[in-house]
Amino acid sequence: MASNIILDIYRLKIKIFFGSFRASKISLALLALYALGLLPSVFGFSLMITSAVNQENANIDMYIENLAAIISGFISIILLLTLRGYTAFEYEQGLIFTSPITPRKFLFASLFADLTESLPFTHPIFILFGAVAYSLSMRALSALTMLFIIILFIFMLLFLKISLSIINSLYKKPWLRAMLLILIVLSLLPALAGLSADFPLKYNLLPHPSTFLARSLINIVYENGLQLLDSIGLFSYFIFSLALFMFVSGKNFFQHVTYIPFISPFDASMRAQTLKMERTIKTFSRMGLIFTLNVESKSLLGFLMKKEMIRMLRDGSLFSVIFLYAILIVVMSFTSVSGSQGKEAPAPIFFMFFMGTYSLITPLMLISNWRFSDFENIWIPLTSNLDPRTFAKALLYDLIIIASLVPAVMSLILSVISGVSILLPLILIVLTSIIGSSTNLYLMIRFSGKRRRSTPSFLIGWASMLLSGLLLIPTYILILLGMHLKIDDAINALISIPMLAYSIFIMKYFLKKTGENIVNMEV
Amino acid sequence: MDRIIELLDVWKAYDGVQALRGLNLDVYKGEIFGLLGPNGAGKTTTIKIIVGLLRMDRGTVRVNNFDITEEPYRYKKFIGYVPESVSLPDYLTLEEFLIYSGKIRGVPNEQIRERMNHYINLFELEDKRKALILSLSRGMRQKAAIAAALINDPEILILDEPFIGIDPAGQHAIKEIFNERVNDGKTIFISTHMLDTAERLCSRVAIIHNGQNVASGDLKKLQRLSEVGENATLEEVFLKLTEEAKEPVVEEAAERRRRSFLGLIGRKT
Repeated sequence: MASNIILDIYRLKIKIFFGSFRASKISLALLALYALGLLPSVFGFSLMITSAVNQENANIDMYIENLAAIISGFISIILLLTLRGYTAFEYEQGLIFTSPITPRKFLFASLFADLTESLPFTHPIFILFGAVAYSLSMRALSALTMLFIIILFIFMLLFLKISLSIINSLYKKPWLRAMLLILIVLSLLPALAGLSADFPLKYNLLPHPSTFLARSLINIVYENGLQLLDSIGLFSYFIFSLALFMFVSGKNFFQHVTYIPFISPFDASMRAQTLKMERTIKTFSRMGLIFTLNVESKSLLGFLMKKEMIRMLRDGSLFSVIFLYAILIVVMSFTSVSGSQGKEAPAPIFFMFFMGTYSLITPLMLISNWRFSDFENIWIPLTSNLDPRTFAKALLYDLIIIASLVPAVMSLILSVISGVSILLPLILIVLTSIIGSSTNLYLMIRFSGKRRRSTPSFLIGWASMLLSGLLLIPTYILILLGMHLKIDDAINALISIPMLAYSIFIMKYFLKKTGENIVNMEV
Repeated sequence: MDRIIELLDVWKAYDGVQALRGLNLDVYKGEIFGLLGPNGAGKTTTIKIIVGLLRMDRGTVRVNNFDITEEPYRYKKFIGYVPESVSLPDYLTLEEFLIYSGKIRGVPNEQIRERMNHYINLFELEDKRKALILSLSRGMRQKAAIAAALINDPEILILDEPFIGIDPAGQHAIKEIFNERVNDGKTIFISTHMLDTAERLCSRVAIIHNGQNVASGDLKKLQRLSEVGENATLEEVFLKLTEEAKEPVVEEAAERRRRSFLGLIGRKT
C-alpha cells in the first residue's frame, strides 16, 4: 500500500515534469540538440582524463587533491542550495500536501522522481564514465565498484540536501545558516592548495567526504585497490546522511515548505523563459543591490550602459559568464601537468580552441538573457522620445565590455598560473566579442518583433553563432598562423590592428542594422 | 477646441486579422477621452499605433500636431503611456525605475527627483521605494507604471485599462490625478471596459467595433445616436451601438468574399 502511494506520487511528478514534450515537439529537438552538443565535450574530457592517467610520472597525490577540490565544489553548491529551505512546486500544495500522504512517503517519491528527472541532464556523466572505463581498459569489477561508489555518493548528497533543507525550513535559525556557511568555506579552504603548493591545508590530510571519494576513484583507476579507510569513511558519511534523512522525514514539515511555481525545463516558450529569469533575478538581485542606478549620470549613453550593467549583475548574466570561464580555468588547471618546475602550460591549441568557443558562446548567453529578462520591457524606451539607436548602442557596448573583460581577466589569471602567452588569446577574445556581440544583438532584435517572436531562442542562437563564426574566419586564420609560425608578439600585435579595424567596421554595420530594426519594431 | 490626437482612415492588419478598418478619431485638448469597445474591437491596436509600438498599414495619425510617421520621436516627448498588461524591469527598484523613465524622456534631474517623490508619496509607495519591482504586487506595479508615465508631466496621458488590479483607494487617487491634469489643460486618453467608470469620468467617448468608429461624442450625443432614450446609461448605449454595428460588418465581409470570388473567375477567364 505504502509503495503504491509512493509509486503514484512518483508517476504524477514524472508526468508533470515531462509533460511539455506532449505540447511542443521543439522541446524534444532541444533535448536531442543538448545531448548531441555535449557529446564532443564528454569525449574530449574522457581523452583528457585518459591521457592524464597514462602520463608517466603522474603525480597521483595532486590528482587526488584536484579531484577532491572539484567534488568539494559540488558539495558546497548543494549545501548552499539548502539555505533557502525545503522548496516544493505550487501544484504539490493543492494535490499532495492536502492529502493524507505522510512526509516520508512524499520524500521517497520525490527522491526517485528527482533522480529520474535529472537523467536527461546528468547522463553525460555516465557516458563519460563509460568512455573512461573503456579507454583505460578497466576490469569489469573495478568499473562496477567505481559506479557503485559514485551512486552511493549521489545518494549521500541527495539525502544531505533534503535533510538540511528541511532542517532549515523547520528551525529557521540564523546560527544554523551561519554554521552551514562556515562549513562551506572550511570545506573549500584546502582547494587553495591548488594555487600554492606551500598551502598547509590539504584534502589528503583531512577526513573529508570528497577526499574519500577522490582517493577511492583514483585508486581504482590506477588499479591500486580500495583502501579500507576510504571505504569506511565513505560508508560512514552515507550512513550518517541516511540516518539524518530518516530522522527529518519523520517530521511534519509540509506547513514550512517554500512554494515555487513549476516550470518545466523543457518548456522552450518565451513565457516560461521569462518566468525562469524571474527566479534568477530573485537570487542575484540581493548581491546586485550594492550598485544602484542614480539620477546623477551626465550622458544618456553612460546612464543606459550603467542600467544594462546593473541588469546583467542582478539577473545573473554576469555570474553565468564568470562561472563559464571559472570552469575553463579549472579544466585548464586540470590539464596542466606537474613537473619538476611546477605546473606546465596546457597545449596552446587546446587553450585557444576553448577560448575561441567560449568567447563565441558568451555574447549569445548575454543577449539571450536580455531577451528573457528585459525584452518585454522594450515598450518603455520605444514609447519615450529616446532615439532607439542610443538604446541599442548602450546594450551593444555593455555586451562587448562584459564579453571581453571577463575572459580577458580569466586568461590573465590562467597565464599567471600556467605561463600561457596572453597576447593571442586577448586578440581572439576582443575580436570575437566585438563581432559576436554585434551579430547576436542584430539577429536577436530582428527575430524579436511581433511577427517573428515565436522563433525559439536556440535557433536564433545557432544562426548568430554561424554568422559570427563566418565573419571571424580572418581572425581565426591570423591566430592559427600566429601559433603555427610562432610569430613574435610584436608582429602579432601589429597585425591585430587592421583586424580590430575590420571588427569595428562589422560592429558599426550591424549596429546600424540593429537600430533600423528597433525603429521599425512592432511589439 | 484644439485637436490633440487625430486619426484619419487608419488601417491595420496583423496575424491574418484586420484589426482597424479606416478608423477615424478625434481627441481634444483638456478632455478625458474614453475609448470603448468589445473584446477584439481594436482598442489596444489603436493605442499602440498612437504611442508608436505598432505601425499602421495606411492612414494618418497626428499627435500634438506632429505626424507620427514623419516625426516618430519628437511627439513622444508629449505623451505618457501605461499599457494594458504592464511589464516592468523586475531587476530595478521602484526608485531606479522612475529615474530610468525620467532620464530616457530627457527630464532634468531636479524634476525627476521632485516628481518621483511626489508620486511615490501620492500612491503610498514610500516603503517600497528601495524594493525591487519584482517584489511589488500587481496593483503596486500598475501604480509604478502610472507614476513613470507622469514623470515627464506629459501633455497627453494614454492609458490602456488603467484601473485593473488597483484597489479603490488607488483608483480614487488616479481619478484625482486625471481631474487635476484636465484642470491644468492636459489630456487623458483611456481605454476601458468599465463603462460605469467611463460614464462618470470621461467628457467624451468613442465606441469602436471591428476596427471602426461606431459613434463618438458625449453621453447626450450617443443617447441620441443610439435612440435608446435620454435616460439610458452608457452601458445601454454601448450594447445598442455595438449590436447594430455587427450587421454591416457581416454584410461587408460577405461582399468582400463575393468580390474576391468574382475577381478570381475574372483572372481565370
